[in-house]
Amino acid sequence: MTSSNDKTVTLPAGADPPLVTGNLGFHDITQLVSYHTEKRPPSAWYMAIAVSSTLLCILLIMIAYLVWNGIGVWGNNNPVGWGWPIVNFVFWVGIGHAGTLISAILFLFRQKWRTAINRSAEAMTLFAVICALLFPTIHVGRIWVIYWTLPIPNQMEMWPQFKSPLLWDVFAVSVYFIVSLIFWYVGLVPDLATLRDRARNALRRRVTGFFALGWTGANRHWRNYEKTYLLLAALATPLVLSVHSVVSFDFAISIIPGWHTTIFPPYFVAGAIFSGFAMVMTLLILARKIYGIQNIITMDHLEKMAIIILLTGTMVGFAYITEFFIAWYSQVEYEQYAFLNRATGPYAWAYWTMMSCNLLFPQFFWIKRLRRSIPFLFITSIVVNIGMWFERFVITVISLHRDFLPSSWDYFNPTIVDVLTLAGSFGLFLTLFLIFLRYLPMVAIAEVKMVLPESDPHFYDKHESEEH
Amino acid sequence: MISLPIVDGNPSGSGVKAWRSRPHLEQDPQLVETVSEEFFPGASDAPSGSSRRQFMQLLGASMAMAGLAACRRPVEHIMPFADRPEETIPGVPLQYATAMNFRGTARPLVVKSYDGRPVKIEGNSQHPNASGASGVFEQASLLQLYDPDRSKRTLRTGTPANREDFLSLCQRLQTGVRRVAILAAPDNSPTRARLRAQLENQFPDTLWVDYRSEGDDSELMGLQMAYGQPLQAAYDFENADVIVSLDADFLGPHAKNGNLDTHAFARGRKLNGAQDRMSRLYVAESTYSVTGIMADHRRRMRADAVSQVASQLATALGVYDGATPDAFASAIARDLQGAAGNSIVVAGESQPPEVHALCALTNDALGAVGTTVTLLDTGIPIQAAQSQALPALVEEMRAGRVDVLLMLGVNPVYDAPQALDFRGALERVSDTIHVGLHVDETARASTWHIPAAHYLESWGDGRSQDGTLTAVQPLIAPLYEDARSEIEILAVVGSGQFQRGYDLVRETWRPVLSGQDFETAWRRVLHDGYLEGTGYPSANPVVLSFSGELQGPSTGLELVLRLDPTVLDGSFANNAWCQELPDPVTKIVWDNVAVISPKTAEDLELSCEYSKGRYYSDVVTLAANDQVIELPVWILPGHADDTVSVTLGYGRDISTTRPERDTPFWDKDDETDIYARGTLATGVGTNVSLLRDLLANPVIPGVELTKTGRKWTVVTTQDHGILDTEARPIIRMATLDEYREDPAFALQGEVPTPGSDVKTDFQDYPELWKDRHPSKAASFRDSDYWQNQWGMVIDLNACTGCNACIVACQAENNIQVVGKNEIGHGRELHWLRVDRYFVTEGGEELDSDPKITMQPMPCQHCENAPCESVCPVAATVHSPDGTNQMIYNRCIGTRYCANNCPYKVRRYNFYNWSKTIPETVQMAQNPNVSIRFRGVMEKCSFCIQRIRGAQKRAGLEKRALQRDEVATACQQACPAEAITFGDLNDEQSQVSQATRNARSYKLLAELNIKPRVSYLARVRNPNNALESAGQT
Repeated sequence: MTSSNDKTVTLPAGADPPLVTGNLGFHDITQLVSYHTEKRPPSAWYMAIAVSSTLLCILLIMIAYLVWNGIGVWGNNNPVGWGWPIVNFVFWVGIGHAGTLISAILFLFRQKWRTAINRSAEAMTLFAVICALLFPTIHVGRIWVIYWTLPIPNQMEMWPQFKSPLLWDVFAVSVYFIVSLIFWYVGLVPDLATLRDRARNALRRRVTGFFALGWTGANRHWRNYEKTYLLLAALATPLVLSVHSVVSFDFAISIIPGWHTTIFPPYFVAGAIFSGFAMVMTLLILARKIYGIQNIITMDHLEKMAIIILLTGTMVGFAYITEFFIAWYSQVEYEQYAFLNRATGPYAWAYWTMMSCNLLFPQFFWIKRLRRSIPFLFITSIVVNIGMWFERFVITVISLHRDFLPSSWDYFNPTIVDVLTLAGSFGLFLTLFLIFLRYLPMVAIAEVKMVLPESDPHFYDKHESEEH
Repeated sequence: MISLPIVDGNPSGSGVKAWRSRPHLEQDPQLVETVSEEFFPGASDAPSGSSRRQFMQLLGASMAMAGLAACRRPVEHIMPFADRPEETIPGVPLQYATAMNFRGTARPLVVKSYDGRPVKIEGNSQHPNASGASGVFEQASLLQLYDPDRSKRTLRTGTPANREDFLSLCQRLQTGVRRVAILAAPDNSPTRARLRAQLENQFPDTLWVDYRSEGDDSELMGLQMAYGQPLQAAYDFENADVIVSLDADFLGPHAKNGNLDTHAFARGRKLNGAQDRMSRLYVAESTYSVTGIMADHRRRMRADAVSQVASQLATALGVYDGATPDAFASAIARDLQGAAGNSIVVAGESQPPEVHALCALTNDALGAVGTTVTLLDTGIPIQAAQSQALPALVEEMRAGRVDVLLMLGVNPVYDAPQALDFRGALERVSDTIHVGLHVDETARASTWHIPAAHYLESWGDGRSQDGTLTAVQPLIAPLYEDARSEIEILAVVGSGQFQRGYDLVRETWRPVLSGQDFETAWRRVLHDGYLEGTGYPSANPVVLSFSGELQGPSTGLELVLRLDPTVLDGSFANNAWCQELPDPVTKIVWDNVAVISPKTAEDLELSCEYSKGRYYSDVVTLAANDQVIELPVWILPGHADDTVSVTLGYGRDISTTRPERDTPFWDKDDETDIYARGTLATGVGTNVSLLRDLLANPVIPGVELTKTGRKWTVVTTQDHGILDTEARPIIRMATLDEYREDPAFALQGEVPTPGSDVKTDFQDYPELWKDRHPSKAASFRDSDYWQNQWGMVIDLNACTGCNACIVACQAENNIQVVGKNEIGHGRELHWLRVDRYFVTEGGEELDSDPKITMQPMPCQHCENAPCESVCPVAATVHSPDGTNQMIYNRCIGTRYCANNCPYKVRRYNFYNWSKTIPETVQMAQNPNVSIRFRGVMEKCSFCIQRIRGAQKRAGLEKRALQRDEVATACQQACPAEAITFGDLNDEQSQVSQATRNARSYKLLAELNIKPRVSYLARVRNPNNALESAGQT
């Protein structure tokens, strides 16, 4: 890294605080980000990949065990047809929300601060959606015929049942994944070209060159790039809202008390953003520290994310309370009991874990000092995700275990396979994320440069006029 | 002809001679014997003697001769059909009438057989003494036939022996020097009676003792006490207006005449119109029985205090000078008197003969004898009570005065009173012969064991409850070559020669059918299953006065032993269906428990904690008569205080030769297969019969109960839960007066479904999809099936919760058994469950005296089925005839349908349960119902295979389906006729009529799912005199 004291620039009075601190110049940013993909990774990376790939192996073993023996290896039972796998699915889909929200919606709203975090947030999104897609796939009883959920023409003329929300899920999540992947890749093209240009060996030049699609930085390239990016952002924006709305239909379309609520789509989307931002925060607090990029991902970025967590956490909490109100207002015994059972039944501990993690904890972000305290942010980001996992547990398991007829009530006990599969999914997620950190620029170099004051075409004009 | 050299110790043909040593070659007889005995007997028996060709000739000849039995397929050998036997079409089932001996009485049955394989048992509806219903044990006896742990070979001191050896033993008996004693399970078979008489004739010092594992037949003794002669009482519960049960569980699945009595009782309470009559049932009992569930007034009390009620009743009615009647007894007495002879007072098996005698006196005084109580003269001479005869036999055995003991279908080593030391006495008898289905406790303690033939494998006969002669004919040759029926054994012991059961039975029937062409009459009997007009004559004896002393209640804890409603006396303990069958009241599976009341539990500081889907019960020791056993406790609301109820039949130890299933660590088959580790019965529960005194009294006073501090996991299919009927209108009930005021009380307060009231007619369909309901789609209307719209009505006023429907469903629909552990996980597979709800009415104490109502819960076949719309692959769809169908082949197992089912009736194959079922059990599977693979959902199909079968038959006969032609398995089995099934399009069908019943309501109708199953609300008929006094 080179210091760039000689390039010190002063900002005009009244301008927004700089998004990149430490007076970094264009080259510094290139250097700072791409350097990590070129040198040996820090020892922390090796330790992390050792742990995460072990977990990944456990996941693969658990899946093999599951497929060999059957769904019985999990804790699912008669009233509770959906247990941890579906909880994990909704949890991971939720996490996969932040990335596209940051890239697409914040892009359209011209939130320039997004540039520092969008690349890693999008990567996180993709990996979270991969984890999410895994669960509904392995949770069916006969995985070898899961392709029947896809509309593949066949000799039986047998199509999927389009009324089923599970089928909508298949489409919603896979479309979301594909669009997010394209969006992410398009954003990567200029940076891949940078890596290609910096490559010292032929292989690296070839691989990065292949994926850089012959990018030269020509004006025409930039114009096409920005158009495409804008269009993709416009395409991805409704998806951010639709995916989790559709996921929430899995529950809302049913007739089970505790599931059958119209509040679910907005409530799920808010929850998804909430958990997604928390996960981005967890990962970036570690990454910026380990890779020394605090100047690019600054405290201001973290604070902005904290504010979004505060906002969405409050929305989610509001939804929790609204559900209770509606249950009371409906005067339906089954509905009332479903919510009473959440708060006072055998799983009350899970409910109150959810309430304190999701509603209570983020309220500390009203205090600016805590919003800007790294340890507190880190703890909260983890607490929020624990809370959000429990939210899905509360919705899925508690609603199912006691529904209409008390005769069929039962209890759900997770098994060790459930626990290891969840742990293993973190292994999958982290392994993918660590590979991303190792080989791809974790910050969108080109985009960060665009938000530097120097990239403003009139920046030097002002400079010169001041000098005169 | 190719002649192959035979490597043989005794070569009969030419060719190579193989020898092992010189003496061997020189045929040293001693050595030859040693050499041949080197192997397992039979293994080294060479294929010498007759040639293969000769063998085939003999086989063919015997086949041809067996064909003389004509009215059914050959008995003696199973061979592939070269020519199609008459009436047999492969794949089309045949039905044969037969009967099962249940606790000494024949229960007439009709058994369905596919290609020579019996697969389903039903009651014989044509029999004059049967309703066509069948209970738990008749249904489950099918699996008994295919039990993989059945004994297969004749054993002599535990090692396989030849039948010829046994034959020579019997031949040696013929000299009459050795004294024979016989211990046999009760059976009223005329052939057995004939053989017994023959035997007693031949060997006058023969000792014959009838052995019931539950002890004395106190009812018989009581009637003998009251009338001075052995009589059998038959009760007409249908026409009785007032019924009093004194600890008598006459409706229970294990009741001797349970099916018929339930049938009649339910008929006496059918309410079709507001003015219909309904009987009133008073029950005084210690535990909560199936009969107690049906009671209009139930008083819980110690079993030994019940005699006081009998005494008070008799006193109030002036036939006895006993205890002063209390309010309860006087109210009943007044009610009984008002019934003008249409009343029944009946005492239970736990009650001593004196109480039965007192009941007989009371019935007599009320003028019920001849109207609702019929006394039958069975013609059986007075016999010593078992409590006298058995110790006497044991005494003889111990004194060495018995040389041969033949035990037919009994297991005294397991269930005889411990004080008798039966096992010790057995050792003093030189030849003990056990005949039974299993190598059980007694078999291992005996010198000989002969595998018994199942009743579906043997010829026999019996008498139904009213005495009608009933035939038992086999549907399959014995699965195991050595198996013999009891009469065949009796015959060989008596004559020294094997005789065919067929001949034995025909010999008995020859005089019975004299005066007509025997073969024709015999065929008629086999076809019908019975002989008309052979019932016992009714007797009109004069009642003797009764002055016996009634024992008052003892102090301290009492222990009451009863037959188990699922495994009976243990003879059904190795039956997977029975073990998995929830107890009707406690809903416990795969366990026996000591049942106590909440108050007793509190007094003794015992608990039975519910945690995470399982119960953790305190294990206690129960000590009486110098014996100690350990049992987990179970706290049952409504159970009497200071009394402990236990059931017989657990703690069995059966041997098997099946290897254990051993799989690698990653394969859970050994955990999920219930048959993986030895026999099913072994290790389940504790043998409570050990605690009995010498007389095998079912009520043991002064039992000591000590807490051990350990816990035992008890698994139920349903947890405790008091239902607040106001809040959740699941069970709807009213009193008879309320019902008469408003017959449609069940619909009061029901949330109206959008648009209108509950529709009964399929045509009136719904508002939501008024014109575009799927049922109106062209594809539906154009279907021929559309003509029939299937529906079901379940009468909660009739259902006793006896479980017959569950086992019938299991047998019909190939429902697999998952075992205790998986039920603990909540993964039972029963398609039909019987929900038990404790019901308390406002202000009553929750735990002490709740009422119980049963609610059978099959799939409701909703017209707007919530399960169908959520399946991503359309694996569950609606049929044009209105059933909700499950397409196993299409199912990928998302379980979304099960989640979205408000009744939670869908069942999921969490493991590959059908993969591990043993070969013989595979034979029990119904070929018309798919075996489900793991990962697919299953559920009640309204027995679609039966519907389609009937339609196919009608189509072949070119006729329309007849009214009420189709019956589901549960409906057919139900002794109470609580289930009605049929075509809703047919105005006159039974189900349409039942749907129009004013009590009809649909469960969760407010969800607008339009279930096809309706329930008829329950009506109680309380005595206002007691009700107002605050007594229940």
